[in-house]
Amino acid sequence: MNQFVYDIAVWLDNTAWSTLLHESYYMYNWVESIHVLSLIICLGMLFLIDLRMLGYALPNVPASSIANRLNLPMLLGFSIMVFTGLLLFYAVPVRSTQSVWFRAKMILLLGCAINAFLFHKRMNESVSSWDNDARAPGRIRLGAALSLGFWSLVVICGRFIAYDWFDCEYTDVGSLSQMLSGCIDGQTRY
Amino acid sequence: MSTTSATTSGSYTKTITVVTLVLLILAFSFSSLRRDTWLQLYEFFLWMETTPFGVIGKTWGAVFAIVEAFHLLAMALLGGAVVVADARLMGWIFADIPAREILDKTHKVFVAGLIVVLATGIFMACGVAGKIYWLPVFWYKMLALATGIFFVFFIRRPLLRRDLNEIRPIVVKLVAISSMLVWVTVAATGRWIGFAGS
Repeated sequence: MNQFVYDIAVWLDNTAWSTLLHESYYMYNWVESIHVLSLIICLGMLFLIDLRMLGYALPNVPASSIANRLNLPMLLGFSIMVFTGLLLFYAVPVRSTQSVWFRAKMILLLGCAINAFLFHKRMNESVSSWDNDARAPGRIRLGAALSLGFWSLVVICGRFIAYDWFDCEYTDVGSLSQMLSGCIDGQTRY
Repeated sequence: MSTTSATTSGSYTKTITVVTLVLLILAFSFSSLRRDTWLQLYEFFLWMETTPFGVIGKTWGAVFAIVEAFHLLAMALLGGAVVVADARLMGWIFADIPAREILDKTHKVFVAGLIVVLATGIFMACGVAGKIYWLPVFWYKMLALATGIFFVFFIRRPLLRRDLNEIRPIVVKLVAISSMLVWVTVAATGRWIGFAGS
């Protein structure tokens, strides 16, 4: 599996656009800046929705209003965030796929997606009975708290990707870190 | 009649104060005083690196990175509050909900986000004080942040505390657009510090 992921990453890395993006000081930094700005929009909306469910923000505004109205800007921010995130991955594919933080971030994003699906499902089933309450019922609050936790960890892992503490070239062969990162021979060339 | 005159006079006083302040800042920016002040601040920045925050930030990279992540999360919270409040002023969302309700409640979220942004920002600045001192983009960010804080607490908030129906719609929209532009500048220049310093 690690070899397969590595081969795809090497193939991506060998494409001209990947090199151009990686080597372009301004373009790479602009893409990363837009990634962060769209993250601020997406998470800003998401945090307000979650804090509303927990009873900490906009308690007098119906919960369904908050969730429905902020959904569009949140998805807009999310779409730009994903697109720029893919570009950032495309610029540095080999190191990213062999990064323990990148892998953790992908797993956490999966957790975010599952939690969001369950959160919306539960909310749509019951919102009419508690829409005007300052705090949502326990199960919805749990979903909101998990959302805050998952996304905070996503941001922390995303931030950690920039650091080389556990990069394959700085860790021992056969170590736990190398196993989790999926290090294989030849990775350090990239 | 006298009440109207007093209100108008009050508005002019605030306008004159703001314009005077802006002129003073411009005079400071284009005089040798700016360079002298900048040179005098170097000792302060070196001292920042010797504080416990500076020592921790320089010694433990993981702590610095976690604080960095919380800085970003707090910026998201602050940004969310700004976007929702300004979008309401523009009439883009929550048009059926009183603007006062949205403005007051999002302001609390904004203040909470700002406190964390400032606390984590000071910590990070201490860790890399000797480096950021030389980066023009750091000073642009500080200028943008100071402008943002001043704008929120001395222009936007006092203005919007009045009955919104009394304020011309174009003024409300200009305030919303200015607010969004200022905070986007704060976020963008903040991100650029990382690039400029690498």
